Amino acid sequence: MTEQIMKGIARLLDSDTASSAQKTQLHPVLRLLGVFACILFCALSRNSIFVIGVIAVSLVRIAMLPPRRMAGVLRPVLVPVLLTCLVLLPSVFMGHPRTMLTVALKVFASASTLALLNESVPWKDITGAFAALRMPDIFILTLDMTVRSIVLLGRLCRSMGEAVSLRSFKGPDTARDGRSLVRRERDRTRRDAAGGLLGTVFIRSGMLAERTSEAMTCRCFDGTYRLYKKHKWNIWDAAYVLVLMVLAAAFFYTQSLII
Amino acid sequence: MHIPENYLSPQTCAVMTGAVAPAWGISIYKVSKELPKEKIAMMGVAASFSFLGMMFNVPLPGGTTGHAVGGTLIALLLGPYAACISVSVALLLQALLFGDGGILAFGANCFNMAFVLPFVGYAVAHLISPSIGQGKATRRDLTAAAIGSYVGINAAALCAAIEFGIQPLLFHDAAGNALYCPYGLSVSIPAMMIGHLTIFGLAEMVFTTAIYSFVSSTSPALMARQPETKTSLPLKIFLGAMILATPLGLLAEGTAWGEWGAEEIASTGAGYTPSGLANGWSLNAMLPDYSIAGMPDSIAYILSAVIGAALLIIIFKLISLAVGKASASAA
Repeated sequence: MTEQIMKGIARLLDSDTASSAQKTQLHPVLRLLGVFACILFCALSRNSIFVIGVIAVSLVRIAMLPPRRMAGVLRPVLVPVLLTCLVLLPSVFMGHPRTMLTVALKVFASASTLALLNESVPWKDITGAFAALRMPDIFILTLDMTVRSIVLLGRLCRSMGEAVSLRSFKGPDTARDGRSLVRRERDRTRRDAAGGLLGTVFIRSGMLAERTSEAMTCRCFDGTYRLYKKHKWNIWDAAYVLVLMVLAAAFFYTQSLII
Repeated sequence: MHIPENYLSPQTCAVMTGAVAPAWGISIYKVSKELPKEKIAMMGVAASFSFLGMMFNVPLPGGTTGHAVGGTLIALLLGPYAACISVSVALLLQALLFGDGGILAFGANCFNMAFVLPFVGYAVAHLISPSIGQGKATRRDLTAAAIGSYVGINAAALCAAIEFGIQPLLFHDAAGNALYCPYGLSVSIPAMMIGHLTIFGLAEMVFTTAIYSFVSSTSPALMARQPETKTSLPLKIFLGAMILATPLGLLAEGTAWGEWGAEEIASTGAGYTPSGLANGWSLNAMLPDYSIAGMPDSIAYILSAVIGAALLIIIFKLISLAVGKASASAA
């Protein structure tokens, strides 16, 4: 599960360079606002009608992706949904299966909307959209650095973990009082290796932060996010605004329905 | 033709699942070996057509309804083995999400609609036109598709009628009352076959020939023997149009024969509610009968169609990805 979450975060940065990331004609700010509105409406929805509508639209968009990108979108979506079902499983045994279903549907709707945003908008455009929305620079910088650090340190952990496991010697399991001396020795080596791994990552994270700071200074980046490329409003933006209005209208309409 | 929960005894359900299991096994083997992985993704589109076709209810005088299945159509496009898997997945989705067809009766429904229907339809169509599926459809191909689909759906309906009809013979209480389906063979066979020999058979013929003709001329990617692998724009538009048109299926009022709820079976002429039906197990589907509580039926129907079709395409695209990875690692 942790690996899936890491992969999901890594896809944020990969979308900056991957050729699979579609060049969108829509204003990233609009896309970001649309996703926030969608997640907010799903959370506020008092019945499942609006949420099911959002899920239907998300499923159509996912179905139109090529298989590999589809799997990339679905993996990080299914993890929180399964986790939600697991956490809310007691509600089923207490006679309220609908509770689990409602929350799981909301989680699926929110996570799939976010995953589709990640799939279609590069990460640099998302940080640019935050800047255009006049979000504090320190917030964007912290978010940007956190995401990048998680990905880089995660990859470091993985490669070191692989190196440790490749060097581990698996001795024969000769049973003597339940555990052999060889196994005991191996467990101790693994504990030491895990401790060493975490310590190394801690040291490398400090080095990484230092190098990032130096790179920022070299490039005259003082943590202020400036927009150098102005997005020209086009017909697609107007259509998307219309979609957002329909989304809001659908939310208020579905909330007025009596269940 | 979807047999609901508790209309068949658990023993019958087990036998029918056992009967269809080898067909599933052979179909999975054949599809993974013979069908290119790009075409496996196309099975999702074909399954969507079948799923949507089953949402167009056709009325029959007397208050009953029926629908096309599209099993022969998929068999002609992608082969009978692919049709078996496609229709089975569509039926599973219908049972789990929409409560259309029982979970216990899933094996029986698959035997009728995913095994008998496509294999019989395919065999009859190939008997009439051996070259069917190799390029643009000729007049002979369309005739073969029509006759094949007609025979296929009637063979499946006959199987369903027999499964219904043997229940009161095999499972009844001391007073002679049936425990499950209360109608014997003398009622179930004519009741099922009259509709399928006339209106529903005709609906299946029209559905199969219209889509087969359209697909063969606009999107050869959906045909197993054609090299193309990309779904054409006209086919996507056609699928979208079918989804938007699904509320037409709501115009047909009434329930299909053998698909009544436990509360209405006594009023259909049985005179009592069989105990197996009254006290049987049932699943609370997320979107029962393609409806959402509080939402207008037509919108709920469209949403159900969208969710069903999208899920089928997603499932088969993911299967094609998994098959591609497996074959790559084997190589």
